[in-house]
Amino acid sequence: MVVLDFLREKGKGTMDSLSQAPRPLAGRGLSFARLGLLLALAGLFGCQPASPAAPTPAATVPPTPTASPAPTATVPPTETAAPASPTLIPEAAWPRTLVDDEGTTIELAEPPQRVISLSPANTEIVFALGAGDRLVGGTDFDDYPPEAAALPDVATFTGVLHEAVAGLEPDLVLAAGNNFTPADDIEYMRDFGITVLVVYAETVDEVLADIELIGHALGEDEAAAEMVSEMEGRIGAVEAATAAIGERPRVLYQIGSVPEIYAPADDSFLADMVGLAGGEPITTGSPTAFSISVEQLVAQDPEVIVLGDAAYGVCPAEVAARPGWSGMTAVRDGAIRPVSDIIVTRPGPRLAEGLAALALAIHPEADIEPPADLLALCAEGRAVR
Amino acid sequence: MSTRVAGRVDAARPTVALLPASRRPVALALTGLLALATALVLGVALGNVAVPVADTLALLAHRLLGWPVSVTWPASAETIIVELRLPRVLTAMAVGVALALAGATFQGLLRNPLADPYVLGTASGAALGAALAMLLPIQVALLGFGLMHLLAFGGALLAVAVVYRLSRLGELNSLTSVLLTGYAVGSLLAAGLAMTMYLSGSHLRQIFFYLLGSFSLSSWQQLLVGLPVILLGCLVILGRARSLNALLLGEETAAHLGLNVRRERLVLLGAATLITGAAVAMSGLIGFVGLVVPHLVRLVVGPNARLLLPLSALFGASFLAFADLVARMPGELPVGIVTAVIGAPFFLYLLRRYRAGYAL
Repeated sequence: MVVLDFLREKGKGTMDSLSQAPRPLAGRGLSFARLGLLLALAGLFGCQPASPAAPTPAATVPPTPTASPAPTATVPPTETAAPASPTLIPEAAWPRTLVDDEGTTIELAEPPQRVISLSPANTEIVFALGAGDRLVGGTDFDDYPPEAAALPDVATFTGVLHEAVAGLEPDLVLAAGNNFTPADDIEYMRDFGITVLVVYAETVDEVLADIELIGHALGEDEAAAEMVSEMEGRIGAVEAATAAIGERPRVLYQIGSVPEIYAPADDSFLADMVGLAGGEPITTGSPTAFSISVEQLVAQDPEVIVLGDAAYGVCPAEVAARPGWSGMTAVRDGAIRPVSDIIVTRPGPRLAEGLAALALAIHPEADIEPPADLLALCAEGRAVR
Repeated sequence: MSTRVAGRVDAARPTVALLPASRRPVALALTGLLALATALVLGVALGNVAVPVADTLALLAHRLLGWPVSVTWPASAETIIVELRLPRVLTAMAVGVALALAGATFQGLLRNPLADPYVLGTASGAALGAALAMLLPIQVALLGFGLMHLLAFGGALLAVAVVYRLSRLGELNSLTSVLLTGYAVGSLLAAGLAMTMYLSGSHLRQIFFYLLGSFSLSSWQQLLVGLPVILLGCLVILGRARSLNALLLGEETAAHLGLNVRRERLVLLGAATLITGAAVAMSGLIGFVGLVVPHLVRLVVGPNARLLLPLSALFGASFLAFADLVARMPGELPVGIVTAVIGAPFFLYLLRRYRAGYAL
């Protein structure tokens, strides 16, 4: 599973200019001229998430081609200047037109009742929005909430099982971008007339935007808004608590350690998380590479090592004993701390809890309420609790 | 298949007019030693973190020779040089020796120019062992080696043992049947590897990494365990250069010369397999070294095993140390890619140049 989340991470940060500013939902609307270009690009580079933020606040909901029965369905463009607030979108606005994170426009005639999720994060979001009973299919790595595991699996490590998807007659498929769901599979499903919404977040703010996007697709706008504001509150509290400490130690977030050491790429989602959690992330020096040489690690001298692979049996004692690691400040200070990677890396509703766990791993003394029901990791180490 | 080579052992090579034949081995040995020393110095001095050369030399003099040099370097430089680079360069050299020597042995033993250390199933056996280790939920740590290394070593030895039994190499049998048996067993193991990789899910990257070979995980501990095994095998092979020369004449001729063909074959095969297994356990599957280095040496000094074996070992060490240096300069490339990219064109060049009189 390390690799799954790792693969999802891989390639993130290639569009770093996007991650500078919070991207409100409104920003996801694209002008149609732009959209044509993007669709052409998406066809050429299926794996590349084509989701540039529109420079001007375009209409949140592009006018539908069919005459809309309710005049209130169109949102005045002036109101979108403020960060997205789904209350702006009237609940009754069906059919709905959405633009997904790859810039594809999809139409939903009515609230979808047979939903398939192709990533554990999407599954968690749908359940957390209270729409779990509308899910008819998931992936073989869905593990949260527990009832998600019982869903029929229509996607595995190697790809999407198209017969299983077709057999479930979905009216909405929630796929994950950046090749977590293979681009070919997305195109194949769309060729069959299946409605596929692709979500792909590069920053924490974009995760929040994705929750609102999925909420909008499901007609659960209010629940999404509530969830996002709760998460924003928690994230703000974590930021305040780590800012109060004042120090920003150099942090190695170890994504994996077999066969090489894997760390966040420059400007990647994980680098963003470490920064929000009050650390200075040690990155690989490239926006696309995730492996880092021990030489570089020794030279950069991490002050804290966070073990993102602790759930897979990598524990502090083993790390400290690695050849060449004994001189690092983190190893000498015993500042090697495990976290549960799933909540830290999965772009879903538990991300704010993941951020709290990460912040406590970096600053154990911080005044942060520990996340609930954490895994017990590395009995001999100082598991974050 | 290769009867054309019989009786050519000490024939003067009709090419290479650069030096008289008698001096060529000396010149080659000196070149090899120089290359080895250069590879050692550069391998320790260069890496993807810059450490000043003066610091590197002072540090080595201080740590290895005990010279009283004042410490002017940061502690991180010492870690990088002494704990990361030095064992890495030495491991690359040890593995280079093992692969080149094993390649030369297999080529002579099987009288086939395409033979390499992996020809009798070592590679497939080691790869399958390593891949299976990923799927087993067991964690072993023994003297710096994990389950993967141990199963790779075991797989390599087992594969060759099976080929040996099935092909009745112990008897005076056709070498063609040995090669074909090796090929068949290798194919079967490769299918097992493919299946294991397909089932491995998230471990796929790890298996792939192993298949391309790398020295990024070298450590003193691994070197200290692997080196004695390699040294032992190498000494056995070097001590049997005469047998290898006799076997080059063909089994019957060798037997008439008084050689115990079965025993010598078994000993040479066992030693070559042992060092290959040790090499693949330490570094994964690194191709091309074992195939090309013996040929390079043979092109210059001819097929006499007394010269071929030690010179192959020497050049194998420097070639792999240089290849690893290139592999880690841009970050971290699998060294197996580098050996092929550097080695293949160079080999083609030499083949064209020396094409007139080349034989095993």
